Amino acid sequence: MIQLHNVSLAYQQDASALNNIDLKIGKGEFVFLTGPSGAGKTSLLRLLYGALTPNSGQVLIDGQNITRISRSQIPLLRRSIGVVFQDFKLLQNRTVFENVAIALEVLGWGRADIGKKTMHILKQMGIESKYNLATQRLSGGEQQRVALARALVNDPKILLADEPTGNLDDANKNQILNIFKEANIRGTTVVVATHDRRLIEQSHKRLVTLNKGEIVEQMEKETASDHQTL
Amino acid sequence: MNKWKKKQPATIKPFKRPTLAGDGFGGRAGFFLSRAVNNIRQNIFVNVVTVGTITLALLIVSLFMLVFVNLESATESWSERVQVTVYFDKELTSQDQSAFHEKISALSGVSRVSYVTRDEALKRFKIRLQGQEALLEGIRPEVLPTSFEIALKRSHRDTASVENFVVELKRIPGITEVQYGEEWVRRFNSFLNFMRLLGILLGGFLVIAAIFIVSNTIKLTIYSRRDELEVMALVGATRFFIKAPFLLEGLMQGLAGSVLSLALLFGLYEGFLQNAGSFLTFSPASSGFSFLSLEYIAGLLLAGSMLGFLGSLTSLKRFINV
Repeated sequence: MIQLHNVSLAYQQDASALNNIDLKIGKGEFVFLTGPSGAGKTSLLRLLYGALTPNSGQVLIDGQNITRISRSQIPLLRRSIGVVFQDFKLLQNRTVFENVAIALEVLGWGRADIGKKTMHILKQMGIESKYNLATQRLSGGEQQRVALARALVNDPKILLADEPTGNLDDANKNQILNIFKEANIRGTTVVVATHDRRLIEQSHKRLVTLNKGEIVEQMEKETASDHQTL
Repeated sequence: MNKWKKKQPATIKPFKRPTLAGDGFGGRAGFFLSRAVNNIRQNIFVNVVTVGTITLALLIVSLFMLVFVNLESATESWSERVQVTVYFDKELTSQDQSAFHEKISALSGVSRVSYVTRDEALKRFKIRLQGQEALLEGIRPEVLPTSFEIALKRSHRDTASVENFVVELKRIPGITEVQYGEEWVRRFNSFLNFMRLLGILLGGFLVIAAIFIVSNTIKLTIYSRRDELEVMALVGATRFFIKAPFLLEGLMQGLAGSVLSLALLFGLYEGFLQNAGSFLTFSPASSGFSFLSLEYIAGLLLAGSMLGFLGSLTSLKRFINV
């Protein structure tokens, strides 16, 4: 599903963010990216949804080389990728419903269908009763779930999450982790960047460790072998 | 206990991709229009500020236009006075009259030719000397010259054309004495050119200022919603999809601003007409002070709409990075 070949990325000429990354993530896999701050986790994720293009190397998503597609095709790529951001990136003055529905509106869905599908995903996230509240009035955990609902509402092939549990307490962390696992069971490839050791240990999933822009360690934990690789 | 925990993934039915909200141009336009209207409702304060700014900017421009257009039409009527007169010291026979009339009319730039008889000349003289009729005692028509008065077309009223015309006129056999008030024509034309230049400079300056103010206001309103643009781009909206509602919004703001500014301008115009008598020595209504013509009104509406549209278009470029 995701392949990186010799990918290097530098924001400035002398300071490289990623260095010769080779990584394969199979369809339906669940992978944690970890490493200290500045290791390149966020940069790697941004490459995957087309917010950055690498200076060298190839990035393949679902068989498509996204370093070669035109700018106008990036929106189409993003429709098959759900992204959860560290700072949620919710529209603060809009309601929960509107924040989630926007992901379906851009696909050109009809109003009635958007309503049904959005309420369905909000129910799954356990926040359907707050659908008409502005997101700025929600707690951190609730906001995170709205962000997740938005990422998952169009059943993406890939779910990317950047520090999804950064500011959450343990109960909320577990809930979020469960949502990831459920999405993964339904067939979504999940990539989570985090430096939350406990989250990684609890979940027994494949682990890729980055440091200074390079992959320093890869650990397969239990499950990886169950999934078919590309 | 949270509800979502009980949910079993197996019970979740996959949704089929539903049909599009609106296919074809009409459906899409309707969708974008409703989005634009929603955006305006949700950001009512920002929109009021933007429309207000556009209104004021266009009001200044249109006020200037109103004054300029009226000055132009006033000078237009003054330029009617640019006329060339050919004098004869004897009364012409009707044959001569029609011969001269024909020859003069054949020259380029002539709009009207009329013959003034001695009696007519005396009548005019009397009108001019009204109140001092004593001076006219003893004057009989025979002492006055007869003449042809020649009015020129608008395009032939500048100094050079008038001089050319006079040269042509003098080539007609029998015409010797021609008067056209050279000095007056020259002064009048240089005044006209000066006024036009001033108008273009001032008007251009005002238009540039209006464009600058409006485009910056729109830039600010879009800047205040850059997170929305970012989120739309991240969930896979195409550039056109992101832009369209904002462009429509800009168009509507521009249109609303221009309608409001025209309404205000009309109010000012009416108020001026009603009250001008108390501080002006002449009545502006009777001297032909009129409101902008339909062409100008349509032009202003179009300009306002385009201002909003193009302001949005150029501002959006900076904030969409898809």
